[in-house]
Amino acid sequence: MSMTSPGISGPSPGVSGNAAVRRSWLLVPLSDTTAVEQAWSSGADVILLDLAELVAEVEKPAGRERARHAVETVSRGGAEVFLLADRELLYADLKASVCRGLAGVVLRLESAEETTEADCLLSQMEEERGLLPGTLQMVPALETTRGNFNAMEIALASPRIWGLTLGRADLEMDLRPEPSGELHMMPYLMQRLVTVANAAGAVPLGAWWRAPARGLLAAPEDTLDAARRGRTIGFKGSMCLRNNQVEALNLGYAPDPEEVREAEALVDAWEQAERAGKAVAGLDGRTVDLPTMKAARALTARARACAARDEAKAQAVELANEEAGEEAHP
Amino acid sequence: MTRRAVRRSGLTMPVNTPRFVDRAWTRGCDYINLDLEDSVPEWRKPQARTLVRAAIGNVSKGRAEVFTRINHDYVQADLEAIVWPGLDRVNYPKAETADEIRKLDRIITSLERERGIRPGTVQIGANIETATGVVNGYEMASASPRIVDFGGGTGYDMSRDLGVEMFVGFDQFVYSRGELELAARVLGLEPTNTPFVANLTGSVSDTDRAFQEADAARKCGLRHGSGLHPNVVEPQIRGLTPPPEEVDDARRVLETYRRLVSEGKAWEEVDGRVVDKYEARRAGELLEWTEACAERDRDKAEAVARTKAAEEREEST
Repeated sequence: MSMTSPGISGPSPGVSGNAAVRRSWLLVPLSDTTAVEQAWSSGADVILLDLAELVAEVEKPAGRERARHAVETVSRGGAEVFLLADRELLYADLKASVCRGLAGVVLRLESAEETTEADCLLSQMEEERGLLPGTLQMVPALETTRGNFNAMEIALASPRIWGLTLGRADLEMDLRPEPSGELHMMPYLMQRLVTVANAAGAVPLGAWWRAPARGLLAAPEDTLDAARRGRTIGFKGSMCLRNNQVEALNLGYAPDPEEVREAEALVDAWEQAERAGKAVAGLDGRTVDLPTMKAARALTARARACAARDEAKAQAVELANEEAGEEAHP
Repeated sequence: MTRRAVRRSGLTMPVNTPRFVDRAWTRGCDYINLDLEDSVPEWRKPQARTLVRAAIGNVSKGRAEVFTRINHDYVQADLEAIVWPGLDRVNYPKAETADEIRKLDRIITSLERERGIRPGTVQIGANIETATGVVNGYEMASASPRIVDFGGGTGYDMSRDLGVEMFVGFDQFVYSRGELELAARVLGLEPTNTPFVANLTGSVSDTDRAFQEADAARKCGLRHGSGLHPNVVEPQIRGLTPPPEEVDDARRVLETYRRLVSEGKAWEEVDGRVVDKYEARRAGELLEWTEACAERDRDKAEAVARTKAAEEREEST
């Protein structure tokens, strides 16, 4: 392990806003030392250090002891780091993990009161650890019936909320496939979450579920399909468990290159018309209207942001490899 | 713990058609829904009301529960005619507001007292068949403890109210059905929804489709069925009762999970699938449901045998 690990790549200003590129959230159980060691090179936008879901109760104390060191090591590849915390053990989980470099917390919430409570604990930890107030973001996981029912009040209960996710709603609510292939209630819950998140100014993140495989063991190609579909209906990212699912999420949640080319042509046409002083822009015989142009601009901006994120991660990995090399041959 | 009601199949029939009512006890369904609403013409409703009290005893000879569907607009007259010992539930069509449910509750409460029925016996089924009903779903479902299950937001009346086509190959009720099931679940009520299974013909006696729908419902963890034609009773019960291989599988999942817990593990991949607390919870529920179904089927079979024996004795004397 490098002693001279590069500066913690915490969320820099402008990166942590709604436009932040957080397509792939790789879940890394803190009880699994191999997974923790390998996570940095996964290519994930976000590493989600898990103290809640896949860590057995008896392993939690040991997991907590590894947490702060893990925040440092897993970010060597340029990933942001979030903590998946257990709400009932939130104080212990935060005490073990909060440090410069931790971007925020994902946790299951069911009501506004729970959200406020968690927000207060985060403020307390920020003060204790000398972090700027409001540094730590929150992503409520709406996994239960109650959480989904109270989605809007939860989303508005704290200014820390960056995103909303359905998390393990399929499991918590025991939602199984219907003959159509859709998980029971899932189309409704997904659209509800996307609507609520946008209304509250939060970013909608998909469930852990990947069609057609249950849980987290989906093959990369199924993960890619699920990600593309997720992006189509308004999600901006998803969680995953295996390193081989990361690339699928990064790809599936980035704009499709073909669409980007079309959008660029559209924006070009608009700008040319503007320069020529024309009131109406046209492309391939179609009139380009303002909303279409705006959507195209947003798409190209998102594509650039995704590319920049990938580039930053690649550089971080290169740097980390060089350092590892120097260490091996001093 | 009160055992979950087993209502896999139930036939709705006009209370004033003797050939349906007299044979109802032989159909094997878990409940019978005596209708005073759409299947009874307006001018026959007064006479139909007088038939309910006797029909309650008649249709329950095979231990089916007895429900009665009343008219949205004749609550007082209908309830007075039907709330008698043996009635398990009042179904209230086109329910739209919590006030309506509270009014129903009040009238039933006083009739129960008047007629020596244990307080709280008669349940209320709120049939949600309009847009207003969907919007007020949560409020209605929480308006009376007599409501133990909830759902809907689909069907003929709903499609008319929304101007939605009834027989299409996709789920045209994603929102209304989701909204009501979420309300049911958040209140801890049994969801009465069924999963979407394309129905392009509208046939009410299609046994294959009935099984498909019930089978799909069971696989989604749903437990409720209803029907109009005797042909669908058997496939519905078959579809909503866990088959032996599913029961065996649930036992294996629980065994594996117990081992995991004793080893301090949260989950394990077994033959390409995950066994964890979620799978264990589902398996446990499935075994309980299987037991409840078996008990219900034994009760019904015994009652049918008793009734048949009694009728034969009567004939031979």
